[in-house]
Amino acid sequence: MAEKVKLFVNGQEVEVESGKNLIDAIGAVGIEIPHLCYHPALGADGNCRMCLVGIEDGRPPLVPACKTRAAEGMKVQLDTDKIKKIQRDIMELELINHPIDCPICDQAGECKLQDYYMKYDGQQSRMTVKPVLKAKKLDFGCGVVHDQERCILCARCVRFTRLITKTGELGIVNRTDYARVNIFPGRPLANRYALNVVDLCPVGAMTSKDFRFKQRSWFLTKSKGICHGCSKGCNIFIDHNREKYKDDIIYRFRPRLNEKVNGYFMCDEGRMTYKLENDNRLSAPQIDGKETGFNEAVEAIRRAVSQANKIVVAVSPNASLEQMHAVQQFASAVNAPLTGYSDGYFRKGDGDDFLIQDDKSANRYAFTLLGIDDSKAGFEAAVKGADLLLSFQNDLSRSLNETEMTQLLATVKLIMIDSSHNTSVAKAVVALPVASYSEDSGSIVNCDGRLQRYEVAVVKNQPACTLIHAVHLLGGEVKNGQEARIGLQASVAVLKDVDLEQIPAEGIALTENEVAHVAA
Amino acid sequence: MQVQVLSARFDIPDANTIEVAKKHGAYATLEKVFAMQPEEIIELVKASGLRGRGGAGFPTGLKWSFLPKNIDKPVYLAVNSDESEPATFKDRYILVRDPHSLIEGIIICCYAIKSHAAYIYIRGEYTTQVKVLQAAIDEAYAAGYLGDNVAGTDFKLDVTVHRGAGAYVCGEETALLESIEGRKGQPRSKPPFPAVEGLYGCPTIINNVQSIASLPFILTNGPDAYKAFGTEKSPGTHLFGISGLVKRPGMYELPLGLPLLEVIEKVAGGVRDGRSLKGVIPGGSSTPVLTPEEAQTVTLDYESMAAHKTMFGSGGIVVLDDTVDMVKLVENLISFYHHESCGQCTPCREGLGWMLKIVKKIIRGEGATADIDLLTELCDNIEMKTVCVLSAACTMSTRSYLNKFRHEFEAYVTNSASSQAAM
Amino acid sequence: MSDRSQLIETGKPFTFDAQRDAEFERLAKRYPTRESLILPSLWLVQEQEGWISAEAMAYIADRIGTYASMVYEAATFYTMYNIQPKGKNHICVCRTLSCYLLGKQEIVDCLRQELGIKPGEVSADGQYSLEEVECLGHCGTAPVVQVNGEFYENMNVNKLKELLATLK
Repeated sequence: MAEKVKLFVNGQEVEVESGKNLIDAIGAVGIEIPHLCYHPALGADGNCRMCLVGIEDGRPPLVPACKTRAAEGMKVQLDTDKIKKIQRDIMELELINHPIDCPICDQAGECKLQDYYMKYDGQQSRMTVKPVLKAKKLDFGCGVVHDQERCILCARCVRFTRLITKTGELGIVNRTDYARVNIFPGRPLANRYALNVVDLCPVGAMTSKDFRFKQRSWFLTKSKGICHGCSKGCNIFIDHNREKYKDDIIYRFRPRLNEKVNGYFMCDEGRMTYKLENDNRLSAPQIDGKETGFNEAVEAIRRAVSQANKIVVAVSPNASLEQMHAVQQFASAVNAPLTGYSDGYFRKGDGDDFLIQDDKSANRYAFTLLGIDDSKAGFEAAVKGADLLLSFQNDLSRSLNETEMTQLLATVKLIMIDSSHNTSVAKAVVALPVASYSEDSGSIVNCDGRLQRYEVAVVKNQPACTLIHAVHLLGGEVKNGQEARIGLQASVAVLKDVDLEQIPAEGIALTENEVAHVAA
Repeated sequence: MQVQVLSARFDIPDANTIEVAKKHGAYATLEKVFAMQPEEIIELVKASGLRGRGGAGFPTGLKWSFLPKNIDKPVYLAVNSDESEPATFKDRYILVRDPHSLIEGIIICCYAIKSHAAYIYIRGEYTTQVKVLQAAIDEAYAAGYLGDNVAGTDFKLDVTVHRGAGAYVCGEETALLESIEGRKGQPRSKPPFPAVEGLYGCPTIINNVQSIASLPFILTNGPDAYKAFGTEKSPGTHLFGISGLVKRPGMYELPLGLPLLEVIEKVAGGVRDGRSLKGVIPGGSSTPVLTPEEAQTVTLDYESMAAHKTMFGSGGIVVLDDTVDMVKLVENLISFYHHESCGQCTPCREGLGWMLKIVKKIIRGEGATADIDLLTELCDNIEMKTVCVLSAACTMSTRSYLNKFRHEFEAYVTNSASSQAAM
Repeated sequence: MSDRSQLIETGKPFTFDAQRDAEFERLAKRYPTRESLILPSLWLVQEQEGWISAEAMAYIADRIGTYASMVYEAATFYTMYNIQPKGKNHICVCRTLSCYLLGKQEIVDCLRQELGIKPGEVSADGQYSLEEVECLGHCGTAPVVQVNGEFYENMNVNKLKELLATLK
């Protein structure tokens, strides 16, 4: 439990955590101290001067809140005329050379200068002389576009490349009001987290080439989600919108703070996996490569299941706990061995010491919890003598080479229940579309054993069938997510006392001890 | 009126060489110094009342006593030889005419603060001076006054000269440290103060060249001899620089406390023939200007300057006569500060540029009264809201011209096209 | 100040000559961190070549073991570093306060006329470059001019013309 101290803000006594700077300490009790250059992950720089607060009887009487530790009895002044004037003056100075690009700037609607102008300034411009002009639309690499005129020189981006990625591509050159952010010629941004500077930038000086001009931020619904790009399970915002006469699509992923998982950041590759949710989707059921109706496809699968001699069921390491449980139950009902074989979902050696993992699937940890075998030997044993393979979103062509795939399909009929087009779907005799994770809800466990929950984000005009419902239509007993959770709590020891409906925002750590007691 | 305390060896030919300097007393204090305890030396310097001669006037001995005791990190001395405040031209004489007094002072200081590494930060423009200084340092090493066994003791001391490259802001102590560490001269927030966390995160003392060069005299003759010059609260002597529109501009060593106008008349010859005094900048461009009336009662010490709402600063006196256009002078000054702003924090970076454009607009004849008012208000809006006091150096001086010579600004506005059009 | 961020690439790699190499190694022992070598290294390049190219900055960064952006920042922040070639005679005229009061403008105007260049420019034949700089710390002998680092004090138009004659 953190130590608390009592101090005064605008005359009111509040209790805050000691040792924190005033922005964080007072922010935690709901009082905002405006700031531009401070960021909890990057530390305090003290250059914007927006967080200047008064300290009654203090020496000095005016301090930057980002550099001042909360102390017992401190009397912080935020709303005096003097401080309000300082906030207006700092805003005025930020704006005199700032181009009024708002109508064409991506940041509009989520811009600190706009927000602070409305809240702390609101005055007419007194600038009657020429502003400073700099370069705009500079390509910094990695899809980052920089506008030097919009830049307020908070140095967050520079500190990010020096403190977090330790690649140091960015710097602030020149001095006085000629200062500007730039890359060294020939050494552009070249790290796997570069696009985080777009989120860090409080204004529209850093924009993403991928997102530029695509959507206004106020039209975006910012749903909470979890990235499925690898087993880290970085928390994200799924920013999506359904334009008139169009469908609900995702415009971008942004990292969402989770101090126990990814902090404030995510990798660029994971950030771009939003495209997999939009593009290349399997929307229409197929039989033998030809489009057909949903019911016809379901019927065809049920027929195949009842006629088969030996069925094998494959499940994806991206499936949620609830989905895995429903599939596991179905497999057992049709006497089919269940395999999670997905070696092809690894990119060995690709992981780093920050967020990126070798395992590019989101929920492989659950295989251990649920006792699902994902070994190659297990797979080979399972398909021996089988004539029907039912795969739930597991693209086996990623794990088997062409020869192995051809050999497999020579004796086994492949049916795919999936959300996207892929090689397995192309080679399947029946393909049944289901919802992707951004359109569904569930719980997953990341590589560190942290259980996290995600809710439905995107709602398509024609929502696809959820995977659990599809399993049910094919004969599975589990009807929905709720039933799956009840089943999980009964069958997985470590989940016995976990209410899967009420997982806290930071997730729950499933400790090693508990995993050891998993039912075999 | 002139004295020769710091400048005792200035006029001796080749006093920059160790042979001549030693003949005239250089390094004579060291035997006594190494027989004392470091703490004793600090008390001695405190007792002398020596105040920092870089411009801030902070008591030197007191600054040394802020070093934490019992630290396991090395202590550093940084000698501030950046001398870039306009109207200041004193330290260069020490560097060229008597560098060994500086080196001896460095040894005394480092022994007192238990430092074994001193960096002399010299402004890049001092090309000839740095050669003389480095030659003197090399001589000192050769003679055993620097290196592993200073003056035959087991005290080790290394002195390294670090050249700046054209930035006034590096005269600010934390910007100076940043520059030694290889970065842009962008000042650091204080706290933490350099005495606790300075160069390379270690306890560091930063002193001006003249302050350090004052130490041999104090150690040789004792604090009372130093206090015999000057006033009670501003003891000692200073290398005053008198420049501008006077008959005999130059560097003059004087005790503190002499009347300003008397010094300008008697030492520097007063204003040129046929001209009248219009104003005096007392201590460098950053100090508020004095009108002739105000200057009547000013004496050259920290207290009198403060009482007249200006500053002793670096003792760089600039004499202004009736030929000076105060508005254009302000443009020259704001232009300087704008050029030298490090660009780190918002008010200085954006604000000084704005102020410059406004004063240029006024001079071009396009200004209105509102522009003069805005210029005045900006002085208040920017001052003390920044990381360092470079912006205050600009705003405090500019404000003094706006207050005391406002009529000159208004004359530009009355004659301006917009006012003409409005009439 | 102007925008100093447009660096010039020579198209050839840069390396220290033997003298600068030895000096670099000597200096490396006098600082506890490698980054402290940035400013001294930039001076070494300028001593060797007269100016600092993009390749030279990259060389310094790699030799020191720091980011090129850090060297880039220092080279553009400190105005004495030449980021483009200067004339054989680089003339700096002090423009501040006392020099301003005592006639720096006449000197600048005279130089503009005699050399045919404006402050910031290099003459076509590469003989001269002209710059207005801030206070050089020689206010008692104003106006002051520096040519290739040498100080010329108490200048006026006549002395200036005499000086220019000796530079030819």
